[in-house]
Amino acid sequence: MNSCENIRDSIGSWLDGELSPSQSEAVQSHVATCGACAETRRQLEKIDRTLKTSLDAEAVRVDFLPFWREVQSRINRKRSPIEQLVDWGRDILTAPRVTWAIPAVIIVLIGILSLDAYLPGWKFGAARNSFAAVDSIDAHGSSVALLRENETKTTVIWLYQDEEGENDAAADESAKSGPTF
Amino acid sequence: MELTDSELVQKCQAGEMSAFQELVSRYHQKVYMVILGLLRHREDALEVAQETFFRAFRKINSFQGGSSFYTWLYRIAVNMAIDAQRRQKRNPLDFRENMDDLLEAQNEVAQDPFSDVHDRELRESLVKAINELTPEHKAVIVLRTIEGLSYKDIGEILGCSEGTVMSRLHYARKKLQDKLSAYL
Repeated sequence: MNSCENIRDSIGSWLDGELSPSQSEAVQSHVATCGACAETRRQLEKIDRTLKTSLDAEAVRVDFLPFWREVQSRINRKRSPIEQLVDWGRDILTAPRVTWAIPAVIIVLIGILSLDAYLPGWKFGAARNSFAAVDSIDAHGSSVALLRENETKTTVIWLYQDEEGENDAAADESAKSGPTF
Repeated sequence: MELTDSELVQKCQAGEMSAFQELVSRYHQKVYMVILGLLRHREDALEVAQETFFRAFRKINSFQGGSSFYTWLYRIAVNMAIDAQRRQKRNPLDFRENMDDLLEAQNEVAQDPFSDVHDRELRESLVKAINELTPEHKAVIVLRTIEGLSYKDIGEILGCSEGTVMSRLHYARKKLQDKLSAYL
């Protein structure tokens, strides 16, 4: 448990005062006797110190009155409908909600798409698939109709004579005998 | 006698603008510092801080008092700063110019120009390394180091557990340590 690797993982939390008393005690006594872990402690403290001083150097003192006037003017200003819509979106789509909403939507979609397995006879999009599609192709002197049905994967080719296709003998023949399947 | 935050919030919910003004005066500098820590851009930080208070005002009636006012306020500030940070990444040129100004400001603080060369390099590298962290990792570092907030408060602000805060902090510090090993 108290290997250097485990201790090093806890040094940051120990410096932050976030470990339980027993964990704190274990880290403290290890760091006191281990040079490598003491070095990790020194480095982490230096990073924290440098970060704080560098931000202090960057910061400017914000005068309250101009700041407050700007906040007040935002409060009093009438927002355009687009701004209101953006505000509404920001209020609704907060990070935790989006985090939950995305998996929820995926689960609902998977549920809908897998209804076939739980409701025999019910097929997603069945109404659309049960229709047969009819395409027609005009050719010289004759017409061709294609009847396709997706569920049984059947295609029927229907040849019939065009009224003006008198020169085509084959078309003539089919006209006499009716539609050809 | 000075009113507590929750008393001021109640007055604010009852429509007293002066109570909100008092809350702004208490927290404007702290909110600005947290946002500056995340954005590293003074003008953007000021703009986001003002917008934070505007949003806080709009939502003040939804504040139930389940958490302290400042964690609620910081949550708005951090979410807005993270949004702004993502927008900032889309305008790297403007950001770069501002970073140069900030680094110059830091160097002016250095009192001894010769003995401080090493520290200056460390500060510059640290700023660059921090900016390479994800907004979420940057947020935990800033809230802990700058504000000294507890893991519980940071978790409330970021909407995650204390364990997540701990692991994010560990990851962020490890990254910084690796990147800055030459200067530490």
